[in-house]
Amino acid sequence: MKLLINTLVRPYYIRNAGFLGVIFYLAFGFMRPTDHYALMAAILTSPFLFVLTTLLWALYTLRATVFVRQLISEPPHRFLLSARLLPPTIRWSGWVLVAVLLLLPVEGYASWMISHGVIHQLWVANGAIVGTVLALVGLSAGAIDHRIRHPYPTRTIRVPRPQRPVPYVLFFPGFLLRHRPVALLLTKTASLGLLVGVCRLYPTDDYDQRLLLICLMMSLLTHAPTCRACYEFETTWLRLLPNLPFSRTTRLTRYALTYALLWLPELPLLLYNRPTEITLTYVVLLWFTGLAWLLLFHARSYRADFNPDRWMQVLLLGFLTCLMLIMFGVPVWIWLAIGVSGCLLHWRMRP
Amino acid sequence: MLLTIDNLRKAYHDTPIITIPSLALNPGTYWFRGINGSGKSTLLRTLAGMLPFEGSITLDGQYEVNRHPVPYRLRVNYAEAEPLYPDFLSAHDIIRFVGKAKQATSEQIASLAERLGVDTYWHKPTGTYSSGMMKKVALLMAFLGQPALILLDEPLTTIDDRAAQTLLALIQEHQARGVSFGLASHQDVGQTELVIDRVFLVENGEVY
Repeated sequence: MKLLINTLVRPYYIRNAGFLGVIFYLAFGFMRPTDHYALMAAILTSPFLFVLTTLLWALYTLRATVFVRQLISEPPHRFLLSARLLPPTIRWSGWVLVAVLLLLPVEGYASWMISHGVIHQLWVANGAIVGTVLALVGLSAGAIDHRIRHPYPTRTIRVPRPQRPVPYVLFFPGFLLRHRPVALLLTKTASLGLLVGVCRLYPTDDYDQRLLLICLMMSLLTHAPTCRACYEFETTWLRLLPNLPFSRTTRLTRYALTYALLWLPELPLLLYNRPTEITLTYVVLLWFTGLAWLLLFHARSYRADFNPDRWMQVLLLGFLTCLMLIMFGVPVWIWLAIGVSGCLLHWRMRP
Repeated sequence: MLLTIDNLRKAYHDTPIITIPSLALNPGTYWFRGINGSGKSTLLRTLAGMLPFEGSITLDGQYEVNRHPVPYRLRVNYAEAEPLYPDFLSAHDIIRFVGKAKQATSEQIASLAERLGVDTYWHKPTGTYSSGMMKKVALLMAFLGQPALILLDEPLTTIDDRAAQTLLALIQEHQARGVSFGLASHQDVGQTELVIDRVFLVENGEVY
């Protein structure tokens, strides 16, 4: 059991620190406890809202389960495939434990809702919540067991193959499309949704430029696992890379092009939804700031002394610090300068 | 002098893996032998400029790996023991990318691919390759460009007899051209037709 926690559960929380940080911030930064109680009362009494909540929980379950299934298929974790030799009862108890731990955020909020339902004696709704959570845990455990019994999927996403050799900048995006499509889809959906939401929902003045910056930081947090995935991709699938005679500048340029490609969908979306008071220059600066910070995250992931356990703390503390500085009025060009100089500094320190 | 190693220390989380106070290698072919876990692969990867380390490794008396990483890596090639490549890419994609970096010509790539039999699965995605097919791709890439030193980690494992014979012929041809080799193997490379200039025993991270 300890092995499963260390190999499957811990990596999930470490690699999704940014995503979970954004969810936590949205849930408890923007909303007060009274807002939550009002929301719970609405969910517990409205079937439509209940189904919507179930869908959100199912989406989270899908993300966590797909992550673990992909992890099991990767070469460093293939030893876990021998678990299929264990008796089903022992094997299933392990997967149920993993699923329960993966779904802790859902279970936590569900428990809060149940306690609210008990106070208001909403027994049917409480029963439905318990049933939903149990079903999600069961489905997640079943999906993990299925991957253990069928480790090499016969159907995967077919990446279109051009006649010409695939250029290096497409190696990592190709890997994401083929091996982590759900994670990529959810990351982009969350990031784009946040940016469009802030652009469209809020009226614009000086204050809202800061709001756009905060939203950019949240959008970057959702991309943090992608930067770590790039490191894992290269150290697992492209181990020869450090032997290739590229200068630091060439390597950095290649990464910049790769991340520019991944970050590209945000640019037209920002331009299209740009509030009239926000200048074009500001949007372009904002996009380049995002790119610079992605490269900073990437450079940080490549440090020899990188400690994945501390990654979550660094991200959350960094986000809170950024939040305060943005509220104090630090402008976008300063954030761009911090991103670029931080990235270059990390890059110079690389062996 | 081909390679000069001074105060080399490679450690993982404070656990020393390789320690070489001083070692100078003339051009030639060297066999690093040792049991599993003795540090052979780490040594080769360090010599290939792929791992951070303390100390210095200098090629041809002028290219120190950390100070001149580009010319050093251009002249030191490496093939890993158990290669793995992105399963959606073909041998063509990977070899072209590495070949361009190592300044190999199209003719050299085509010739090596034909001799090692990689041309028969040139455009197929690597996800469909056996471990032997994958190994031949890695071996091919170790000969790309104009290397002064080629490091081969367990070169004879997983490949078939025909490929092994081709590999030995390739090594001999390159030896005749003055290219040096560092072979890491727990197998007895000495029983092949290869001329080995010196055998090093790698034991507990030290080289004798």
